[in-house]
Amino acid sequence: MDAAMHKFDVENLDLWYGQTQALRKVSLDIEANTITALIGPSGCGKSTFLRVLDRMNDLIDGVRTEGKVLYDGTDIFGEVDVIELRKKVGMVFQKPNPFPMSIYDNIAYGPRVHGIKDRKTLDELVERSLANAALLDEVKDRLHKPALGLSGGQQQRLCIARVLAVEPDVLLMDEPTSALDPVSTAKIESLLDELKRRYTIVIVTHNMQQAGRVSDRTGFFLHGELIEYAATKDIFFNPRDERTENYISGRFG
Amino acid sequence: MPDSRLTGDRTHRRRLRSQTTAFAVIRGLSLLTIAILAAIIGFILWKGLRYDNETRSTVLPWTEAAPDGLAVIVNRDSALGTIEYPVLLGAFTDEYIDWSKIDGEDGDLLPLAIDPSTPDGAAAERLVFGGKDIAAWGGLVETLPDAASVIAKVASTPGTIAVVPATAVEGRKDIARAGLRRISVAANASALALVDNRQVDALEDGQLSGLLSGKTADWSAIGGPALPVTPLAPPAGSRLAAVLAEAGLGAAANAGSVPAGEAGDGAAREAAYLEALATRPGAVGYAFAEDLAAYEARGSAEPAAAAVDTGGTAGEAASEAAGAAEGIAALVRHGRDRGWNLTPSYLVEAPRLSGRVGGISTIILNTLWMLILTVLLAAPLGVAAAVYLVEYAKQGPLVRILRLGTETLAGIPSIIFGLFGMLFFVNILHFGFGLLSGCLTLTLMILPTIVRTSEEALKSVPRSLREGSLALGASKLQTIARVVIPAAAPGILTGLILGVGRAVGETAALLFTMGSDYKAARGLFSSARVLSAHVYLLFAEGISFDRAFSTATVLIFVVLAFNFAAKRLVGRMGRNAA
Repeated sequence: MDAAMHKFDVENLDLWYGQTQALRKVSLDIEANTITALIGPSGCGKSTFLRVLDRMNDLIDGVRTEGKVLYDGTDIFGEVDVIELRKKVGMVFQKPNPFPMSIYDNIAYGPRVHGIKDRKTLDELVERSLANAALLDEVKDRLHKPALGLSGGQQQRLCIARVLAVEPDVLLMDEPTSALDPVSTAKIESLLDELKRRYTIVIVTHNMQQAGRVSDRTGFFLHGELIEYAATKDIFFNPRDERTENYISGRFG
Repeated sequence: MPDSRLTGDRTHRRRLRSQTTAFAVIRGLSLLTIAILAAIIGFILWKGLRYDNETRSTVLPWTEAAPDGLAVIVNRDSALGTIEYPVLLGAFTDEYIDWSKIDGEDGDLLPLAIDPSTPDGAAAERLVFGGKDIAAWGGLVETLPDAASVIAKVASTPGTIAVVPATAVEGRKDIARAGLRRISVAANASALALVDNRQVDALEDGQLSGLLSGKTADWSAIGGPALPVTPLAPPAGSRLAAVLAEAGLGAAANAGSVPAGEAGDGAAREAAYLEALATRPGAVGYAFAEDLAAYEARGSAEPAAAAVDTGGTAGEAASEAAGAAEGIAALVRHGRDRGWNLTPSYLVEAPRLSGRVGGISTIILNTLWMLILTVLLAAPLGVAAAVYLVEYAKQGPLVRILRLGTETLAGIPSIIFGLFGMLFFVNILHFGFGLLSGCLTLTLMILPTIVRTSEEALKSVPRSLREGSLALGASKLQTIARVVIPAAAPGILTGLILGVGRAVGETAALLFTMGSDYKAARGLFSSARVLSAHVYLLFAEGISFDRAFSTATVLIFVVLAFNFAAKRLVGRMGRNAA
């Protein structure tokens, strides 16, 4: 067992929204310091799967899960402090969702709720997080201006910086560039490459080129099942399953 | 050529026409609504800023500070600024026993007189009764030996009134002086004869001057009998002529003169002048009101006497005597009392005498206290309830019932909240009539509004914001307190403004719970009157319509200022959020 190398070990995960089964017997492991892309058509369960990893599905009524999800060897459905889990496993959403406050307060929000009050520590954290999200140069003159005044791409990088400020271990990204223009998308993609060195990244994307460009491993979901999970190269150039091939080559989806 | 299918089509034209008509109707209706609202607000503002009242009086508005070297003095508590001669006479003849009919003040009327056997006393008696032979101080009049003792008593006793030598009270600050209005326009009783059941009554200034200058040649021109007008001028050098000159009321050049009696002394000439007024048909001229009273007293044995009194009784009495063409009566002047209602001093002075005089400073202060306390009570409660309903409560039948309950409460008339507040806060909890009881009642009253609007505001906060916060490891409480409520703040504030707007205009619920003391509140349990209650009480108790409108204007501006401030606040929040 090289579980130590795996950030997540998922075994036989089933998930139901009420009566509807959204995930069927999903098993996969996510290696540390890699970018794992999850692809598949709409409604295939890839976003649902992503939300399992930091238990965001808890917020939805009537969600039931079976199976095992181990984070660093600990069952996240066991006796785990969900706040600690979410601190370690950060999430960036499809649409940029900055809070209606200043840029500085957005970044400092996470550290503050975790009890950091010291002004100097916060200043450093904010600056470092913005730098890591490649946003510092663009906003350093207007840290105390409303975050909602930023462009869409800047807002999304702000959301990434906001997650980085709580010093997580894993970054979950739910189609982070789907609402952005190509230039902003390119910026975020190059940022992902940087971030990979320090974080484990799981990214859900509709954009197969993006998956091909940025990820190390790719999982293909269809109707709640994980059809194929392999190194990105293999998925794109040497798919073992016919359905994967059909999807990759654009025959459906 | 335009394409007929696009522009020339008949259905198209018809559609266009009906659209134009509908647009015109909608615009007309909305303009009408705006015009009506503007007219209402404009009317209240105008009535609040200016007063303009009709007056009827037998004396002209000219006020003498020291008539015949005397002064009418009152206790400093009194707001009496001027007094009309008929009222002065009534005060000393037991016609008035308290101040309510004079200046509306509470309390008994205490007329004081100087012993009439002293010169000061005799002079005062002369002013009150004219040359009347039978001095008849009323039974209520207390006679003191000299002017000094009268002044001392006036200074120390509220409700007192006295006539003393002006020199004795010059510069004294411990008593108040009232000016006297005592110049009447007197006419021979023959002019007041009934014509077709109507008679000369309530004349405008222009009609009076027309009579006195002789421009009006015949009494029939102003609704009287067919009788030539004979203006008479007071004898030169007389007391009356001097006062008239001071007042700028010189007699007309063509006014007939009265033969100076052979005696030639002032008093005798004045007597002859009055006699002429009383006996010459159609005669009209200025006269001192007290002389008319004296004439009435002297002539009471004669059949042709006319009463001098406020209002129409003079005319009625005179008309009975008109056939005889003998007698004298003061003409009733129909005037307008105009002025600024809402002066700066009205805002900064404390109210006195049930708000009849003074300002409304304490009432504005009470209103502010009420607003602050109500917001402090209602805002946290309302927002907390809304947060519970939206964020925590399991959406089910219970929440539906709660929601129905709040909606029902929002529609309940405020008087019912007032009754509840009186029973519960005032009586059962023994808070008594006061700020606290009133504000708690108002809080109950506006809570439903605040809860409902806050609920909507909280619901409209996007789910993505909550998820963003939770995904950072924030707890639910932290998320609500730091993200959801700030994001919903503009909506919550709007609800608060609506609620406070209702509270500041509330009257019924407050009269039962907050009391109506118009002094500044001294604590939570102190009875306090607020602007809306003040408007109501000024109206309902008939204290002063003018002041009710002034207060209403201030109330409108308070509400306006509050709304404006809140809008600015919402705007600033909105800018931060967008």
